[in-house]
Amino acid sequence: MLEARIRKRRRDLTVDVDLTIEKGGCLALFGASGSGKSTILSCIAGIDQPDDGDVSFDGRRFFPPPMPLHARNVGYLTQDPHLFPHLSVERNISFGLGSGIGVEERAWIDRLRDRLGLSDIWKASASEISGGQARRVSVARMLARRPPLVLLDEPFTGLDRHLVRELIGDLLEWKREIAFSMIVVDHESEILERLCSRVAVLSNGRIVQQATWSEVRAQPVDAELGSLLRPL
Amino acid sequence: MKASRWLKRAGVALFACVLLYPFSGLVAPIGPWRWDAEVARPSMASIRVSLGLTALAMMIVVLAGTPIAVYIARTRLRERLWWQALLLLSILLPPLALGILLSIAFGPAGVAGGWLEHAGIRATNSPAAFVGTQVYVSIGYYVLGAVAAFDSVPVMLEKHAALLGQAPSAVFWKITFPMARLGLAVALSVAWVRALGEFGAVVITSYYPSGMPVQLWINLESFGLPAVMPLLVIFIFTALPFPWVVHFLAQRKPHA
Repeated sequence: MLEARIRKRRRDLTVDVDLTIEKGGCLALFGASGSGKSTILSCIAGIDQPDDGDVSFDGRRFFPPPMPLHARNVGYLTQDPHLFPHLSVERNISFGLGSGIGVEERAWIDRLRDRLGLSDIWKASASEISGGQARRVSVARMLARRPPLVLLDEPFTGLDRHLVRELIGDLLEWKREIAFSMIVVDHESEILERLCSRVAVLSNGRIVQQATWSEVRAQPVDAELGSLLRPL
Repeated sequence: MKASRWLKRAGVALFACVLLYPFSGLVAPIGPWRWDAEVARPSMASIRVSLGLTALAMMIVVLAGTPIAVYIARTRLRERLWWQALLLLSILLPPLALGILLSIAFGPAGVAGGWLEHAGIRATNSPAAFVGTQVYVSIGYYVLGAVAAFDSVPVMLEKHAALLGQAPSAVFWKITFPMARLGLAVALSVAWVRALGEFGAVVITSYYPSGMPVQLWINLESFGLPAVMPLLVIFIFTALPFPWVVHFLAQRKPHA
């Protein structure tokens, strides 16, 4: 179970939220740009530190004091795939598994490779692949360690609809298999709805509504949310 | 268009000729070059001193300078500016002035000099003085270059590597160092050339054992130009290849 109470002052607003996600659960964070969605994820991942609050996952305290990043075992995916450009695709994906990869882990890596269609670029340098390929590699790299907690911060931005649909399908399948808990941020409600049945709506750094998608669509908490949910 | 391009190219070629012109001194009619025992013996000794002790100085520069550079590169801007100003001071100090300050500070009158003498280490005209001076004149160049090299590695890549379960030391060796390595090599090559070619400071602190620059000066004073030329050629060929190779590698891998 993830329990997070985060207070974080930013230049333009103060993020102040309480979140609880059951083990294996999924929560979408939705709101206007600059409402604090990404700040929440980066504070849970440990990329950023809250000013106050506490974050724990499955009984392990992430904050305070800040747990070192390498001890967290969190999968964190952002718009920028952050691949290691001096390594091959293969070494990027197996990076988190260390040098002694066992038979079971090798089989898992092979499955990720085949499922994400990475065979053709397996030995290529990460600096030479396309943006869409890089995004798929970053998904494989994140899942290689089978993290119990996955944080997705708009990882589909700029990708073809076709590829987004494929990646969502893959993520849902692996979520069932690995049973990881997941928080997803995106500015497209359609994508979030495919991934998570529950949504927390943020406005000015605070959660203003937390419900299922059908409830939020039926009764948006304010006009701004109604506008965000309306098709173009 | 094509003519204009050729005109520009000719201008750059002329500039290159001006840059290379001093090398014509190597074929100037100054009489037969001298390499008899009287010249060769101290010259060979100076080559051994320069290469051996400069290599030792570079090891110290890398071992001490790299962690310092990592710290400065990852510190906040205001603190970083202070450290960089301090490093610039060591670079901007005229070598002769640095040599005089070093010989006083590490001589019998200086605090550290007193300690060293008590420990039986001669801090002037000794291998220790030679290495110490080279470290002083070159470490600022290395650290500033290394800071720039580490700056070129995005902090977010290091954080993502850590989130993938890698401890800080593993992140350094697997991500930071490989991505900064060519920049580090450039920094080291600059420090190498600076230390190997140092004359002003070394001639004050360590006239003996003489390195190549000091020996060139001795040869010139004692025997004239013909006795300088063989050692000069060796000096040029030992100083240049390393930075040259590094420069070409750095051009080929812009991300490093």
